[in-house]
Amino acid sequence: MVAIEVPEVNYTEYSNRQLVAIPLAVLVLALAIIGGWYLVTGAPANLGLEFTGGVELRIADDGGNVEQQIETAFDRQPDSIRSIPADDVYVVTFRAADEDPEGLANDLSAQAEEAGLSTNAIDQVSPSFAADTARTAIFGVVLAFLGMSVLVFALFRTFVPSLAVVASAFSDLVVPVAVMNLLGIQMTLGTIAALLMIIGYSVDSDILLNNSVLRRTGDFYESVSRAMRTGVTMTLTSMAAMIVMAIVAALFGVDLLRNIGIILSVGLCADLMNTYLLNVSLLRWYKFEGVKQ
Amino acid sequence: MLEPIKNNWRILLLVVVVIGATVALFAPQFGPQTAPGESVSEAQQGVTNLQYGLDLAGGTRVRAPLVGYTATEVDFDGDQPDDVARAIAGELENASASDITAVPAENAVDVTEPSVTESQFRAAMDASGYAYDDIRSGVTQETRDVAQEIIQDKIDQTGLSGGTVQQVQSLTGEYFILVEVPGENRSSVTSLLEERGTVQIDIAYPTDNGTAVEEEVLTQDDFAELGSAAQSDRGTGAYVPVTVRNTAPEGQQSPAHSFQQAVADRGFDSAYNSNRDRCDYSENPDDVSKPCLLLTVDGEVVNSFGMDPELADSMASGSWATDGGFRLTTSEFSEAERIAINLRAGALPADLDISGQGTSRSISASQGENYKNYSLVTGILAVFAVAGMVFLRYREPAVALPMIVTALAEVYALLGIAALLSYPIELAVIAGFIAVVGTGVDDLVIIADEVMSEGEVNSRKVFDSRFRRAFWVIGAAAATTIIAMSPLMVLSLGDLSGFAIFTILGVLIGVLITRPAYGDILRRLLTVR
Repeated sequence: MVAIEVPEVNYTEYSNRQLVAIPLAVLVLALAIIGGWYLVTGAPANLGLEFTGGVELRIADDGGNVEQQIETAFDRQPDSIRSIPADDVYVVTFRAADEDPEGLANDLSAQAEEAGLSTNAIDQVSPSFAADTARTAIFGVVLAFLGMSVLVFALFRTFVPSLAVVASAFSDLVVPVAVMNLLGIQMTLGTIAALLMIIGYSVDSDILLNNSVLRRTGDFYESVSRAMRTGVTMTLTSMAAMIVMAIVAALFGVDLLRNIGIILSVGLCADLMNTYLLNVSLLRWYKFEGVKQ
Repeated sequence: MLEPIKNNWRILLLVVVVIGATVALFAPQFGPQTAPGESVSEAQQGVTNLQYGLDLAGGTRVRAPLVGYTATEVDFDGDQPDDVARAIAGELENASASDITAVPAENAVDVTEPSVTESQFRAAMDASGYAYDDIRSGVTQETRDVAQEIIQDKIDQTGLSGGTVQQVQSLTGEYFILVEVPGENRSSVTSLLEERGTVQIDIAYPTDNGTAVEEEVLTQDDFAELGSAAQSDRGTGAYVPVTVRNTAPEGQQSPAHSFQQAVADRGFDSAYNSNRDRCDYSENPDDVSKPCLLLTVDGEVVNSFGMDPELADSMASGSWATDGGFRLTTSEFSEAERIAINLRAGALPADLDISGQGTSRSISASQGENYKNYSLVTGILAVFAVAGMVFLRYREPAVALPMIVTALAEVYALLGIAALLSYPIELAVIAGFIAVVGTGVDDLVIIADEVMSEGEVNSRKVFDSRFRRAFWVIGAAAATTIIAMSPLMVLSLGDLSGFAIFTILGVLIGVLITRPAYGDILRRLLTVR
């Protein structure tokens, strides 16, 4: 049987500057991607139905050439048609039309019925409701992040180590959003939940590391490697659960679970990097140089 | 005797919680509440007491605001609400008094006719001379409450079990009506919300062959005004004041006149001579002794009335129609309320703007069933993934097995809470369960590593001090998770409040009950005696 051994990293071989370089570069790249997205598309990410408004139909695939029927059934061109073989459905999405959002869902389901397609589910979100949802979601993420930051500062009561936790949590949030953009995953309510979950999850390993270094006796490197053994196991277990959830839910077309799974997997990956490169180097600087000042 | 209990209270607490969850999940006493006319077995979905939400059971959810404008902080000058409404309606070309609701308790007046614009309403308010603070979009609390009541009534009338109506407020303070109807598709729910039920008043009168009915002596459109239910000035009764329209196109009889005519023709004035004369339609509908007014909603008689002798006389003499007012009296206030709602039935006091500013979600029962199975499979596989990782890492069943069992006990306890609260399980809640397994195992890893570090655990004291150290980290991590999730719990972001609630509950159960218990289990297994 293969055993999972958490590798010992010999931190002494690298300078703080070298360690920080990688996570900072990734963070800057992620920010650049999000900024670029904003400049080109007017939004920091690919916004899903819940944030743009529109209609999504799940149409049963009862054999035959449903896809062709879908192409011709509606008097508006669908914005996307996605097939989910495991669930025998096609997911057809229509963006909200600026000119006339009225009655869209009724029309579309009537048109589907006329064409002999059976609709399993309809989701309809009006643009003004969607805009409201987007504002609320941003507010929620900001509030959660601020709350977490305040709590971390209250727990450690030292500036640099607390800042290290907050900074790596920030990067843990930004990197998944950038990856989402690159993979073409849309921002939905499920991904917002996942982002909030990252705030909760990713801070665990940072707190563990800080606790081990600051509150426990012993050599710095020993403390780090002890925290790392536990922390990496934790993160890998959570990641395993999330990757499995993402894959299975994607097969079955349960979008909410799939999105949460993907975002958390990416976020936890980013967390591994941020905790054991960014956070460790900030802590080492604080321990060996910061304290003396 | 007490010593073993004292030493193992954490494990015992976990056992108690698991037993409690089992009771909540399976005992019939904790079964779901039954809707009227529904048996317990019908209300129960599957073998457990768990309730499934829209995602997993199929159905339709509609969330939309009521359309209208409200003038706030209106100074009523001591005038009656009806007079205020009439005065303001008089300043509006496209609205009648029934489109205006004046609510003294809220110091507010709203207009619900969709064609009235904000500036038109503002101009009308200015012209009416009533001082007000501002105009906002949306309607008054009173109108929302009436709308909610009517929608609930409509859902109940169709015999759909478990349909609910709520008012929810968004971050920006806007109110939405949230309607959930299990097992119905979108079009039937929207048509239920939009359709105007037919309300009419018929006259039942005695003939030689039993009761005969003259239908549609008054229909919904014939009412100029529909008051709200009121308590009778004298006695215990209640009534709904209504006014019949006395205007008609050239050459036609006005509704008030034709109603007056019909009442006179059926001899109400000779049948009702004193207050003791009562309509007996409810006792023997097939053979009434006196003419009766019947209130009919969608073809069903919901109430029958006699007539006040004075009113009957004024109709017979032909003087009533100019005023056109009468009262539909009932013995109970709640009945009067119901009639007021029925008279407006179909006609919500304001339009629900589903496609313009709302959102709707509809899932067929089969899709819901699929989601239920898929999420179950997803959850189980996620747990296997966690278990696999834990075994690979520790390769010691004594450490890993209790870890998995403890994490599962956490989810089981959560399911028990969901059953106890009758909280509907949605996809988002299941995502919360999986998140709980994730965080739960994280913390158990922290405990295991901490306890097993630095050599053998050779005394209880050593164990306790290590356990306490581990617990500081777990507590801190739990606090951050709770803080991060709490905004979701209160913000109106669709199903996500369920995700947040169950993640937070899971963390709490974990920190307070299951994780300490795991510590005890580990101590028993590891302590070198």
